[in-house]
Amino acid sequence: MKELSLEVITPSKKAYEGSIKSITLPGTLGSFQVLFNHAPILSSIEIGEITIIDSDGKEKHYSVGGGTVEVLKNKVLVLAESFETPEEIDIRRAEEAKKRAEERLKAHKSDCDLDRAEVALKRAINRIKVSRKYS
Amino acid sequence: MATLRDIKSRIKGVTNTQQITKAMKMVSAARLRRAQENIINARPYSRKIAEVLSNLIAIEKGSANPLFEEREVESIAIVVVTSDRGLCGSFNMNVIRSVEELINEKYDHLKSNGKLSLYCVGKKGVDHFKKRDYKLTGSYPGIFSDLNFEFASTLTTELKQKFLNREYDKVIVVYNEFKSVIQQVTIHKQILPISRFESESNEHLEQLKTVDFIFEPDKKSIIDSLLPRHLKAQVWTSLLDSYAAELGARMTAMDMATENAKEMIRTLNILYNKERQAAITTEISEIVSGANALKDA
Repeated sequence: MKELSLEVITPSKKAYEGSIKSITLPGTLGSFQVLFNHAPILSSIEIGEITIIDSDGKEKHYSVGGGTVEVLKNKVLVLAESFETPEEIDIRRAEEAKKRAEERLKAHKSDCDLDRAEVALKRAINRIKVSRKYS
Repeated sequence: MATLRDIKSRIKGVTNTQQITKAMKMVSAARLRRAQENIINARPYSRKIAEVLSNLIAIEKGSANPLFEEREVESIAIVVVTSDRGLCGSFNMNVIRSVEELINEKYDHLKSNGKLSLYCVGKKGVDHFKKRDYKLTGSYPGIFSDLNFEFASTLTTELKQKFLNREYDKVIVVYNEFKSVIQQVTIHKQILPISRFESESNEHLEQLKTVDFIFEPDKKSIIDSLLPRHLKAQVWTSLLDSYAAELGARMTAMDMATENAKEMIRTLNILYNKERQAAITTEISEIVSGANALKDA
């Protein structure tokens, strides 16, 4: 069986544990896929979308809030700030967050607020995108 | 002297209170279980991040991130974590007293020239420090009913930015750590500047050294992206700890209150019976003496 074991850990729980055929991650230098016998890698990942093909060959999609991934000896460890299925995403909350962030960007008070609003906006848009695409 | 009816209504009152405290104890116990689960679930994340981070730092020598920078402390931010609700014994007072002692001992001069900022998480801390002459830069009442990582994340980002802008030279979190249901310990945790990691040798470190890893984009960038996450995890676990400790404290306090009420009801009952018997005795002796008086006549 050419399978990898995957573990996804978020601040609130162990979000995924199981064997998979492949995983596609939004790396900082671009999206990349990890298959069986991938070279050891440690990479930071951005806000975006993770696609997993599980051991039954089923494709699963998740929204991810940035973090790191480590691949070693066919073990994949993802540390992510958030990890949600399209069904888990609270679309209303994401829309609200988007609106708030946009307002703050328009008001542009200080640099620190701008950075924060930008990240919040990215996160919200990503959630909305993933949720729309797969549900 | 209390009349029988007075005593009876007091017994009723105390019984009502006892029912309330009993119910609150049960509610706290149920919530505590969930809060403890949350802590257990959050631990792997913070532990893993710290592990990867410390190992990366160990192999990437001379990684100078501004978040490590130790400066002369000319301004400080203290994050005070209290609860939103009372009835939890000395839980909040412990934190508040500890903060005030810390300020009096070490940072009184910063307080007097306005270089000491307080961030109060939880309504009780806000209420306390608002009334006194402290500079409350952030107040976050009512967050524990819906405690989420996003809150910890936003708060940490703000603190980090201000540290990098040299608005604060040091950031401390003061909170109650959950030791056990009946024991809480007040903790001062310095989160900024980040203290150097202990790089103990472990399996993972060996692998990083010997295995030919690809680092994307590069080691330093990964460290730089992990450090803020590490900070967030630190703040997040403090909040979770404090919430569990609060519920534990409330459970103990309510348990004690229930016990006290039970004792009170017992003494009141004895008093009631004594009074009742005294009343009966008086009545009987009155009747008997009345009957005797009639017989003699």
